[in-house]
Amino acid sequence: MGRYASLVWKNAIRNRRRTLLTITSLGFSLCLLGLMMAIYYALYLSDTPPAQALRLATRNKVSITLPMPGYYLQRIEKTPGVREAMPWQWFQGVYKDERDPNNFFARFGVDAKKLFLIQSEIRLPEEQKQAFIADRRGCIIGKKVSEKHGLRVGDRLTIKGDIYPMDLELNIHGVYDSTMGSDTLFFHWDYVKENRSLPKEYTDVYSSISILVETPESVPTVIAAIDDQFRSSSVQTRTETERAFALGFLNMMGNIKAILLSVCAAVTFTILLVSANTMAMSVRERVREVGILKTLGFKPGAILGIVLCESMLIAALGAVVGYGLATVLCGMIRQGPAFSSEIANLSIQPFVMVAMLLSALAIALLSAFVPAWTASRVPILDALRHSD
Amino acid sequence: MSEAIITTKGLTREYVRDQFKVMALHNASLDVTKGEFVALMGPSGSGKSTLLYLIAAMDRPTGGEIRVLGQDLRALSGNAIASWRNAHVGFVFQSFNLIPVLTALENVELPLKLTSLKKKERLEHAETALKLVGLGDRLHHFPKQLSGGQEQRVAIARALVTDPDIILADEPTGNLDANSANEVLSLLHRLNQEYGKTIVMVTHDPHAARFATKIRFLDKGELLSEGTKPADWMSPS
Repeated sequence: MGRYASLVWKNAIRNRRRTLLTITSLGFSLCLLGLMMAIYYALYLSDTPPAQALRLATRNKVSITLPMPGYYLQRIEKTPGVREAMPWQWFQGVYKDERDPNNFFARFGVDAKKLFLIQSEIRLPEEQKQAFIADRRGCIIGKKVSEKHGLRVGDRLTIKGDIYPMDLELNIHGVYDSTMGSDTLFFHWDYVKENRSLPKEYTDVYSSISILVETPESVPTVIAAIDDQFRSSSVQTRTETERAFALGFLNMMGNIKAILLSVCAAVTFTILLVSANTMAMSVRERVREVGILKTLGFKPGAILGIVLCESMLIAALGAVVGYGLATVLCGMIRQGPAFSSEIANLSIQPFVMVAMLLSALAIALLSAFVPAWTASRVPILDALRHSD
Repeated sequence: MSEAIITTKGLTREYVRDQFKVMALHNASLDVTKGEFVALMGPSGSGKSTLLYLIAAMDRPTGGEIRVLGQDLRALSGNAIASWRNAHVGFVFQSFNLIPVLTALENVELPLKLTSLKKKERLEHAETALKLVGLGDRLHHFPKQLSGGQEQRVAIARALVTDPDIILADEPTGNLDANSANEVLSLLHRLNQEYGKTIVMVTHDPHAARFATKIRFLDKGELLSEGTKPADWMSPS
């Protein structure tokens, strides 16, 4: 088939405007497909980073929105296999103006001393770390938050309470970076807990607890041990890996897996139609030339191969365009608010790139097969009389 | 006496169109010997192109026998016919039928893509064929950049680039002006006289037929016996 390469190429570009439009439409569709596949891969198929593999999260079994009693933290800390445990408390609150969604970023109350042990990916200068640990009203913010809101070390920050009936007056002591995302503010949960004016149902409960286990192998045992010890309690727990916890959080927005797969299927079907239409038009215009090739001795198999290769070439170019666009989009998503560390590090992995290319080629084969087969089987004289 | 390389006996081609049977060719018996230049003449619908397509194995007879270069064409499968045609037959159409997106050189190279020749050899052969038809200076021109006569000469170069035993031409001058027609006919004559190519040419034009060594007439699907013309045939001026 290699010796027909120039013929395939020249046929592919014979109607440049149509080919360009087809490649562009394929590119945009494949970009969307690639993006969906990248998100699916990141959420469900990618390897868990080593540090994250050691982390678990415990929450109320019924719902993440319901609290667990505060003493659960001490019980969990003493569970065999648990190295450290700390509150991982969603504060929410309002920064500046709640009507502007750009002001939103995650705010978590934690145990500052344990934060850097459990979330070992967090990187910031040692003096900033120590300053944060030493100040109960201190906080650290992610690099993205700092850049987006122009906040720097030494600035004061007010978070107005909405779920909690108190405001946070925070001193920024550090700006961190992390492979798990840098769009979160961490503050001392003790700051809230020690507020005597707050009722106990605010200060003596946790919505989630972050846990560091001794070894990755101990994860199933620790999960079972934690949940078993609260099985007879009025508030049962659900302990899961940090990744599963984050996915559960995402699933509050809907069945992400089903949404991703539905979009992928819809996009694939659309590309199939676009590609099939183009190839059908392209082949129909060339029936007479098929007759010429047959007169020269080209066999039906060769003609079938030439048309299929042409379709695959156009699809492959569309995949390259789609890959480029999807890479740009991933970069934009990485800059936006991250709902999970996987999204914070979203990129088109080689697996996704290969899947995009294979999808494009499969679509090309499917869409071109019928017109190519028909053209290869048309009798010479019928082909030569075409459009005469 | 030379050996016949094209032999048909009782060759028949019947079509069914809109439930009606059309007898395009009936009981045609023809012998063409090696090195002959035969013109097939006759009015429109007389069956001359049908006979040419059957000789080129571009169509299948519904009756009779046809042997070309000793090969019974009815016995060949679809793929075998394609290979056979590529190796033994060069075809020239009335409307040139060049591939518009390919240059003259690439058009002439096309049939060689089906051979085992390497690209460099293919291009050398194609260039030689184009020089032979006087288009050595038009190698990289696209069909739309050539005149009708030049296009037909490219088509002839494409037909002879595989060095076929037989060249079949279907009204090769039908779309050309008088000067271009003469150039093309002279070229075919030269290929017959100097290179010994066996040529079968379908034409309406008595002037074109003069370049042939033998003229056979068809009328209403019948191949008339040698030396016979249709009753209402206008004599060449």
